[in-house]
Amino acid sequence: MADAVATTQELRIVGQPIQRHDARDKVAAAMAYAGDFALPGMLHAFVLRSPYPSARIVKLDTQRAAAMPGVAVVLTARDVPKNTLSTDVPGQTTTVGPLRATLHVLAEDRVRHQGEPVALIAAETLEQARAATEAVDVEYAPLPSVFTTADALAPGAPAVHESGNLLAQWRIARGDVAAGFARAAVVVEGEYVTQFVDAAYLEPESGVAWIDSDGVITIRLSTQVIEHFRDVAEVLNVPQNRVRVIGTYLGGGFGGKEDVTVEVYLGLLALKTGRPVKMVWTRQESLLARAKRHPYRLKYRTGALATGEIVAQEIDLLADSGAYAYLSALVLLYSTVTAAGPYRAPNVSVVARVAYTNNPPTSAMRGFGAMQTVFGYESQMDRVARALGIDPVRVRAVNTLRRGDSLPVGQVMETHVAIPELARRAWAALGTPAAPRAPHVKVGRGLACNLQPYGRIVWLHDWSSAWIGFEMDGSLVVRCGAPDVGGGQASSLCQIASEVLGVPLDRIVVHVSDSALTPLSGTTTASRQLYMSGNAVLKAARELRAQLLTVAARLLDTDAEKLEMIDGAVHAPDARTLSLRSLLVECARASVPRSHLGVYHAPAGEPVDLNAGAGKVFPDYTFGAHAAEVEVDTETGEVRVLKYAAAHDVGRAINPQSVEGQIQGGAVQGLGYGLMEDVVVEDGINLTTSFATYLIPTAADVPDVEAIVVESGEGLGPFNARGIGEPPIGPPAAAVANAIEDATGARMTRLPITAERVARALGLVTE
Amino acid sequence: MRYEAPESVQGAVALLAAANGDARVLAGGTDLLVQMRADVVEPELIVDIKRIRETRAVTQENGGWRIGAAVTGAELKEHAPLKQAWPGVVEAANLIGSTQVQGRATLGGNLCNGSPAADSVPALIAAGAVAKLAGPHGQRDLPVEDVMLGPRTLALRPGEFVVSFLLPPRPPRSADAYLRFIPRTEMDIAVVGAGVSIAVDGAGTITAARVSLGAVAPRVLLVAEAAQAIIGSRLDDAAQERLAAAARAACRPIDDKRGTTEFRVDVAGVLARRAALIAMDRARTR
Repeated sequence: MADAVATTQELRIVGQPIQRHDARDKVAAAMAYAGDFALPGMLHAFVLRSPYPSARIVKLDTQRAAAMPGVAVVLTARDVPKNTLSTDVPGQTTTVGPLRATLHVLAEDRVRHQGEPVALIAAETLEQARAATEAVDVEYAPLPSVFTTADALAPGAPAVHESGNLLAQWRIARGDVAAGFARAAVVVEGEYVTQFVDAAYLEPESGVAWIDSDGVITIRLSTQVIEHFRDVAEVLNVPQNRVRVIGTYLGGGFGGKEDVTVEVYLGLLALKTGRPVKMVWTRQESLLARAKRHPYRLKYRTGALATGEIVAQEIDLLADSGAYAYLSALVLLYSTVTAAGPYRAPNVSVVARVAYTNNPPTSAMRGFGAMQTVFGYESQMDRVARALGIDPVRVRAVNTLRRGDSLPVGQVMETHVAIPELARRAWAALGTPAAPRAPHVKVGRGLACNLQPYGRIVWLHDWSSAWIGFEMDGSLVVRCGAPDVGGGQASSLCQIASEVLGVPLDRIVVHVSDSALTPLSGTTTASRQLYMSGNAVLKAARELRAQLLTVAARLLDTDAEKLEMIDGAVHAPDARTLSLRSLLVECARASVPRSHLGVYHAPAGEPVDLNAGAGKVFPDYTFGAHAAEVEVDTETGEVRVLKYAAAHDVGRAINPQSVEGQIQGGAVQGLGYGLMEDVVVEDGINLTTSFATYLIPTAADVPDVEAIVVESGEGLGPFNARGIGEPPIGPPAAAVANAIEDATGARMTRLPITAERVARALGLVTE
Repeated sequence: MRYEAPESVQGAVALLAAANGDARVLAGGTDLLVQMRADVVEPELIVDIKRIRETRAVTQENGGWRIGAAVTGAELKEHAPLKQAWPGVVEAANLIGSTQVQGRATLGGNLCNGSPAADSVPALIAAGAVAKLAGPHGQRDLPVEDVMLGPRTLALRPGEFVVSFLLPPRPPRSADAYLRFIPRTEMDIAVVGAGVSIAVDGAGTITAARVSLGAVAPRVLLVAEAAQAIIGSRLDDAAQERLAAAARAACRPIDDKRGTTEFRVDVAGVLARRAALIAMDRARTR
């Protein structure tokens, strides 16, 4: 918990909806993204990818390609110093034990999914690189393959990996499920199916690498994880301090830039050629090659008393990892922990499995396994309410976890669970129901709540660091390794520093995302960056403030605790002031440092044995409730979202503008997941590798999202903030499905909820 | 690759007729340039027709409207008298792509791209539009429904291109409408498109009708049975049902991830009926 400075003092800067320093540049297209950089003599790189979902590489001859005009180098697996890339928990500094996951940088004798990298080409121009790619002589012999999780787990299924197709499973059990069902007044059963989706950020994977004058291989790219410098070093077989990663401001990450993207290729090519090299994935390549969100099959059986109180939950989850492990085991862990939602589940069993297939690999994406489960538990909650004739807000309030209650995994809720208030406010925000605009249109409303962890799993011992220092003119520099993925990460750090040190925001410069020059802060993933780096900056700022005020107190002949730092000056209680400049000169004379490195260690814990069923998994959770009003065309099945309200308890909003942006963006991305986004994979082949076929919502597809920001003051972040990066993407699909049942009586159980699926559910389509 | 931008119809015809290998006509380029970038086509000659006066004008002709093949959707939208006379044609053209695409996309390009899902084509066919073609043997008129034979296949002869379209005069109490179905609200390709043009008498009885469906067959269909189903009616419920049934009966759609055969057939009936209702509403009030 934050200490007295945070809670008793009136805040001047934190909590203000301040325009971010990066906003204008982005809107004006002046921001230099990773793909905008170029260096003299730069080569252009391209990856040759497998067209087959499962095949043996019979022949791989690069001679003809290497002889093509302008080609500098063609690399295959045998040219990679260490061809194994670790893909478990990016940026992690502790070991992750059995979760260890690896893959080959370039395929050796076998490919396991369409788009798997086989060779790497660099040439003077991009056209030459692409032409040479086509000249690589590869012969494949197709191998047996599996494309559904059910097939993958069936006896005798072709093995995607030698270890077998069951990649991971978690089981938890609490209470007496059978006894719970025996007491239930109503039992609701449902099977739900979710799809592959893509991060679909505007900025594709891109970067430039060069060997700097100090001999350090330097890679400037679009990434959520600058700590991948270690993975690059491992593959290149050079010391970790010989690789530097500089992250640019991102045009979207959403988890898609958590795993390695272009950095290993760029490092290899810079090392092999000694020349600068650039790689920018095309949209098609990006949609083909990037890991997707895991499709799930979720089976729920829920028993409730007549009061709506849930007394039994039986949950079975099965996820598709695609061809490689990446973060699948952890994604599944998030699903397991959140499977029963933000509700009491005294009698519960969860069986969760994830299997290998020859589909595109799946990995991190905003929501990280805690999203698919919302569609399951909130559809169930709505059906329970409907079966019992209970109001949707009330049924959730009846079941909400209270402080001191435990999640199925045994973790005790240590902070306030604001679900009842959030649900009430989101529901009320819909206002008067819209009248159907035509006889063939029906209008309905739905509610969905969620919980989403923020911060890393406690046994990963997460930490972040930040450096703050004054220049002699009183201007301030913040250095922090945190990549800014577009959520306002960098500007929030400035607001925190400004609050504590009384330096106006226009006198602060923040340097982020450089593995050589900014203190490492960990990944911008897991809704952890405000929590972790916000705390690191807060710690650095407070400790620096204490250093400076000791000197100021001496000059002003008073106690340091009585001094305030406001607007670039130190203020004494008797209205005397001391300029920062004078104070800094005195610090220099008195040998007191004018800078400080703050390191924040999150509360850590020991690994939990899920099967034994007790313990803390995540530091804390963020809660939300979304309400949707939709209209359904009862002749075509078209669904249109008319009104949308999204409420989250963010603990405290450091920058309400950025918080609202996260809530609105998450809600829209979640509506895309619910209504249209679908990576269509047929027999391992991705049929949606352009934005003409992979549909994401346009401005015309979504209503204004009313963001309701609730500040309980209960978070673990700076000034009691909670993470808000991922949480808003969770509820929309379930909220819309619940609204469709309200409007039409049809229960949609498969995502995306397309017009055709609704039309079929309504019996409109004649076979 | 050679790029030419002749300033006369004859100049364009001469270039196209003399071309060896793949020659392509460029208007807005919203299909052609995309296909070139995707290596779907690799033309040896591109003839840009935008400098030819006849392709860029909207003029009145014998009480009807002549629209140049290279007039953009945005220009049609700004043309109030045309929009008043043929609201269905203009709204169809304005559904192509996005606002940005509208600044470039043309009726000629939309037709000659040869897609059965082209939005403006059902509206043009319902309107009874006639394309003026120019070629080495002079000019000829061809009803729009006869221009496209199948996906990417046109009835144009070697060296021919579409110069303009003639929309016939609008009698009193007549109007058109176009509706399409897509999986999202904007910027997508039709899963079904329906264009309907109707004329009614003083009593509100339909005296003439044309119904055209897009994206439900290898080419855009003119569905005479659907028109017959409502001629002589006031578009009462029974007539609407007959129209929907006739429209559905004419469909021979593909089955793909954007819409199964059954779904496209079902929606075609709904859209034909709704487009007819809109056209009817418009016709009655003028």
